[in-house]
This record gives sequence, C-alpha cells and structure tokens, in this order.
Amino acid sequence: MMGKIDKIVFGDNQFFGINHMSQEKAQQLAEQFFDISNIYRIYNIAIDAGVNGIMLNSNDRARDICDFFRSDPARYKHLNWYPSIPYPYKYANLVAEKGIIPAINEVLFRDNNASGVANLIFKGGLALLSKDAIKMMQMLIDTEMKIFRGLNVKVVFLQNIITDLMLGYDVRTVFEEYCQYIRKKYKALPGLITQNMPWLLGKLKEWGINEVVICTSFNKIGYLMSPDVKSYIEAASRNDPENFQLMAMSTLASGAIPAKEAYDFINSQNLQSVVFGASSAVHIRETTKLIRI
Amino acid sequence: MEIKNKIKIAIIGAGRMGITHYSIINSHPDVMIDAVAEPSGLILNMIKKYLPVKTFKDFNELFDKMTPDAILVCTPPNLHYAIIQKAIEKGIHVFAEKPFTADLNEAKELTSIYSRSHLVNQVGYVNRFNDVFSKVKEFIDNEVIGKLVRFKSEMFSCTITKAGESPGWRSSRLNGGGATFEMASHAIDLVNYLIGKPDKVTGSALNFLYSENVEDAVSSTFLYKSGMSGTIYINWSDPSYRKPTNKIEIFGDGGRMLADQHSLKIFMNRTNEKYGLTQGWNTIYITDIFKPVPFYVRGNEFTRQLYHFIDCIMGKEHTNKCSFADGLNTHEIISDIFNDYEKNGRLK
Repeated sequence: MMGKIDKIVFGDNQFFGINHMSQEKAQQLAEQFFDISNIYRIYNIAIDAGVNGIMLNSNDRARDICDFFRSDPARYKHLNWYPSIPYPYKYANLVAEKGIIPAINEVLFRDNNASGVANLIFKGGLALLSKDAIKMMQMLIDTEMKIFRGLNVKVVFLQNIITDLMLGYDVRTVFEEYCQYIRKKYKALPGLITQNMPWLLGKLKEWGINEVVICTSFNKIGYLMSPDVKSYIEAASRNDPENFQLMAMSTLASGAIPAKEAYDFINSQNLQSVVFGASSAVHIRETTKLIRI
Repeated sequence: MEIKNKIKIAIIGAGRMGITHYSIINSHPDVMIDAVAEPSGLILNMIKKYLPVKTFKDFNELFDKMTPDAILVCTPPNLHYAIIQKAIEKGIHVFAEKPFTADLNEAKELTSIYSRSHLVNQVGYVNRFNDVFSKVKEFIDNEVIGKLVRFKSEMFSCTITKAGESPGWRSSRLNGGGATFEMASHAIDLVNYLIGKPDKVTGSALNFLYSENVEDAVSSTFLYKSGMSGTIYINWSDPSYRKPTNKIEIFGDGGRMLADQHSLKIFMNRTNEKYGLTQGWNTIYITDIFKPVPFYVRGNEFTRQLYHFIDCIMGKEHTNKCSFADGLNTHEIISDIFNDYEKNGRLK
C-alpha cells in the first residue's frame, strides 16, 4: 500500500521570484527573499503553524536551505521533504547557450567532478550514455538529489516541464523507469508534476504504472489546467487515492481567487494534499486553517 | 481519425525547439509524426530507440525517401533556406522556427514562392499567440488608447552571462546567432504585429559583453511616416532576469498600456464602457483572459501556434497569423538595424 503524503505541504515558488500572474509581483518577491534569512524566517512560521511537509526545487539556493534544515535536527528532523527536480532554468539556459548534448555533458561531468562513476563513464563518452537514456536519466536524478542528502524524502517530483514534455512523447518506459528508480534508490514515492492531469492519469492507467503522487494545478477558474477545469474535476472524482494521490498546486491561481473561495472549492474535491506558498505569517496561518481536505 | 487520413509531419532538427514541438504536435489528434532528421548521432540514437518514427541523419535523405504533408523546421537558421527549398519542390506545408532564415535575400525568395502557392507557411514568432499580447492587439485595433504616438519594446534574459565558450551556430551572425536574431527578433516582430512595420530605423547600437563575435545587447529607434516613433532594447546578458521577459509600453492620445507575457496595465484618459475600462489605471491579469489549450508543455502560446498551423492545413483557418511574409518583415528590420549600426553606430 502506498504511504500517505502530508495533507498540507509548504511550497517554494514565493522564495524564488516566481509568480505566474505578474512579473511585477515576482520581482517584489525576488527582492524580499534575496536575503536568505527572510526565507528561513518564513519556514519557521510555517512549521509553527503546523506544516510538516516541504516541497523544494533543486535550484541554486536549495543547497543552502537544506544545510539550514540539516543543521538543527532537534528542531527539523520530523519534517517530510518533497523535492522537485530538476531546476528547469539551469538546463534551459545551458541548452540555449551550448546545445543539448554539451549542456548534459556539463551538468553530468562538470557538476560531478568528485564522482568516480562519472569519470569512468566519461571515458566511454556521451556516445555510450546516449545509447542508454535511462542510465543518463538516473545520473541526472542523482546529480539533482545530492542537495537533499540526509533529509527525510517522502516524494521525489519530476518538474512539469519534463513530465509534460515526456507525456507528449508518449513513451511508457521513461515513466516506468523513473518511478522504479525513485522507489528503489531513494525509498521514496515517485511524483509527477503536470499541467495535463487528466491526460497523464489516463496514460499511467493505460501503462499499468501505479502508486504515484500527481501534483497538478487545481483551481476553480481552470488556470494552468489543460484541457479544462471540468475534465480535472471528473478525473479527480473518479480517482482511487489508494493508487494515485493527488496534490493540488496553484490553488489560488497566482492570487486571482480569494483564499476562502479558493479553498471552499478545493475542500469539495477528491484531493489528498495541497501544496501552497505564502510570503507572510498572516497568509500562512489563514491558509493552513482554510485547507480541510 | 484513421491513420491514413492524419496529417503526416516530419521534424527537421531535434534541438531545443525540435524536441518541444515534437511533444506538443504529437498530442494533436489529427497529426502523426512520421520522421525526424537530425545530424547529431547521439540524439538520433535516442529517438531511434524510444520513438516510433523514421530517422534520418541528413534532411536531403528524408526528402529523397518520403514526402510528408508538412515539416517543422527547427535547425539553426542558416539551414532553413536549403530545407524549405526542398519542401517547395515537393509541395510541403512549412512551419519554420524564428528567425525565418539567416539571410535576407533567401527570406525574400522563399516568401515570394510560398505567397504564390496554396501551401501553408508559418514562422515561429510565438508572442503572437500569447493571451496578453493578443488582448493588446485587440485593444490597439479598436483604438482603445486612441491614436498611437510612442512605444517601447524590450526583452531581457540571462542566457549569456559569462565569457568564453560559445560553440555552435549561436556565436555567428552569418548563421543566425546573436542577441538580435535570436531575441530582438521577438521584440521586433511584436512591434510589427501590434503597431506596424516601421518606415525607418535609426540610432541603432550593439553592445558586446561576453560574446566574441555577436552582440549581447541591441537597441534602436523606429520611425513612422505617420509621426509615430518608438524604441527597442534587448539584452540577453542580464542576470537579474530569471527567465526571458518581453515588455511593451504603448502611449496613445487616449491612454497608455504596459504589457508583458503575464499582465496588462492600462491607464485610460476616459472611461471605455465597451471594454469595461475605467478612467485611470486598470489591471488585467493573464488569469482574467487566458484561454486553455488541449495540451500544455511550455506555455499556452506554444501549443496554440502549432495547433494554428494544423488548423490552416486542414482549412479550418484561412489566414495564417505569422506567415513567411511576416517573418520577412521582421528580417528586413533586423537587416536595417545592422546596416544602421555599421554606417552610423560604430564610432571610430
């Protein structure tokens, strides 16, 4: 049976200048959290408000954040971690600058200087690796996951840009191998972030891939929900949570929906978890009270 | 739809855009991807192993062996001409990534041939399919901020933030590399689309920060016979931007608009009841105006642009929103910027 995930998970978009609705708001957040101690302060408020789960993307600042949590086990050991990998912009910029193969090369072989395995494979070169895309994927996962070493990892999520790209390719093996590797190597639940939840759910069933956590935008206006909000509600209501646990993100549609209204809707859906981000004590306390799934 | 009736597509070039387009177009119920041509043996190997398509190392071989209904051209820009020429011979619909070609004369020739044919031709200026910019277009066309006077089109990213290695086609302007071809082309196309093609380009400056052979920033002034004018400024070496950002500001005699990919602010001199805009500042967020797409990979606009291409092929749409002629217009302005810089902008 699949282990149960936390009903409330605290996300990280607010810390990294991400706001889907407004670049101006994103800019404000980036300035507010440029000083990393402001990030730690917000985490402490969330934890004091009862949050037990943290979702964190493997971006440039995640290493420092993880060090902070590792440094005080007495206070933070009980937390469950929900890493999301990879940090898409690292790859996007590298690929834009150098091309796909040199970008992978750089991530695998330059970011991994200390790793004997990497050096060994480097001898065979990327040509060898490309014949085995799965092995390459596993090495990329390991590179990203180094940041989270020593933390209690509950789910490893694949970012939506990768999940949805692969979903379009319609290749079962990649999903199968990803899920298997996360279970075996990290003793964690495989997670997939998507903006095409009904499509993904249908495919996983067709492929016989089970016991996966799916994190997806879920809000009453249908923002970042393809194909539409109606299909999401239907797919969720038919879903068996013993098989796929659904975690809602973008519940406020980047602030377009007032919190009370947003969570009245979310609470009435067949969802197992909500990941939310907030940058003030008032919003954190309000949200943790409003989520009643 | 039965397989034999599906639109058969070949993807030429499986780089960053090729792999994105593959995923998106493969979700279309009326489309079947038949083949991929890609010179990199590493990437071709992976495609061969995991995807149910024919693979070719050389696009010539692809055209020798098969005739797809349509192709997506996602190679470096300097190869577009030779590929699209082959497509013309075989009567194939073409979607070409931006910039349309690396050479102005080639762009002119392809545009002239395709304009005379019945074949669908499209260039990948994706901003034309963005929800916010579509709204801006609707407002301009309906004179919501009155007669246009002045504009500013800007784009920023942190693509190149250190000196040194920049292999590949991106480091050469002849191959279609550099901040002007790669990024400013988006900002220029947005001006052409929303406001109109400028009559004169002046005051162009290029800045070289990290790249050796191509510019990292570009700015220019656009003049119109109507008296309207505007500027562009594009910088791909600005680490304060986490992801590529397009901004446009338009001043008219009835108000002012500020737009990026996610939101639109309008200052109205007077209330406009038809569009629900009140005197003073109005804010429209993408969440107010987005239209969902059937399958999402990298923003609604990417899906919408390729589905539009298919709609045009199927005859559901009769006017392409970003044809070769539009791509040529942008190319002409790029060319004017380079000429203006060489003649007037480079101080001895």
